[in-house]
Amino acid sequence: MTDEAETKRALFQEQALPFMDQLYGAAMRMTKNPADAADLVQETFVKAFAAFAQFEQGTNLKAWLYRILTNTFINQYRKNQRNPYQGALEELEDWQLGGAESATSSTGRSAEAEAIDRMPASAVKDALQEIPEDFRLAVYLADVEGFAYQEIADIMKTPVGTVMSRLHRGRRQLREKLADYARERGYAIPDSTPTTTRSTT
Amino acid sequence: MTDCGCDKAKAELEEFLHNELSPQQCQDIRDHMAVCDDCSAEHLVGLTLTNKVKEACQEKAPDELRELVLGAISNLDNRA
Repeated sequence: MTDEAETKRALFQEQALPFMDQLYGAAMRMTKNPADAADLVQETFVKAFAAFAQFEQGTNLKAWLYRILTNTFINQYRKNQRNPYQGALEELEDWQLGGAESATSSTGRSAEAEAIDRMPASAVKDALQEIPEDFRLAVYLADVEGFAYQEIADIMKTPVGTVMSRLHRGRRQLREKLADYARERGYAIPDSTPTTTRSTT
Repeated sequence: MTDCGCDKAKAELEEFLHNELSPQQCQDIRDHMAVCDDCSAEHLVGLTLTNKVKEACQEKAPDELRELVLGAISNLDNRA
């Protein structure tokens, strides 16, 4: 191995590999199972390493790695999943928007916040898995990874407006699912969600 | 005091939460929440949701994955 190759590998290991846990977390939310998540992360690192010379030092490496992860997922894993109506679903849900917060009192909201706070991690992950993939990814990138809207737009290759809409709908659906979960277990959460969105229960 | 009122606050709470607003817009929302229990409770739900999702999604990659990745990368080196 040449000195140059050795240096490149050392730099990659030092800079990129520390993101493995985070990328694996994202891959778990994308693929929904540990074996595919591990494959996806491995493939992401191999691609990133091959392209590492093109990475501009000093720019956001984490965002760069997430772009590769997301591209790889979309090109290789998503097409194997049967979910042809994802796009249509996203359009259809437009009518659910608007005015959902209006009915609840601030006391009801405090109870809701408390219930969410007490929720087990498994319930939160289950709820995340149930929302449409594009929404889930936007929520993950914003809330778990703390990416800015523009960075998420770059990673998902969509306009910022689409990111905002996916994030808004994703968080709303998540909140409804968690409220349902809490209610089923007897927490006193007022029925704040519009009845039209609860047809699945 | 630059209280922006409920409608604007509600519309922008999510951007506020994600740190996407200008300092002035943030201040307007803070001023409003200081006098509005409804909007501050709504913000608390949003904040709690974000923290909960973040906490629930922390994962640790399996140890063998690190070895696999290191192995795959050194193979690439050898081919180069």
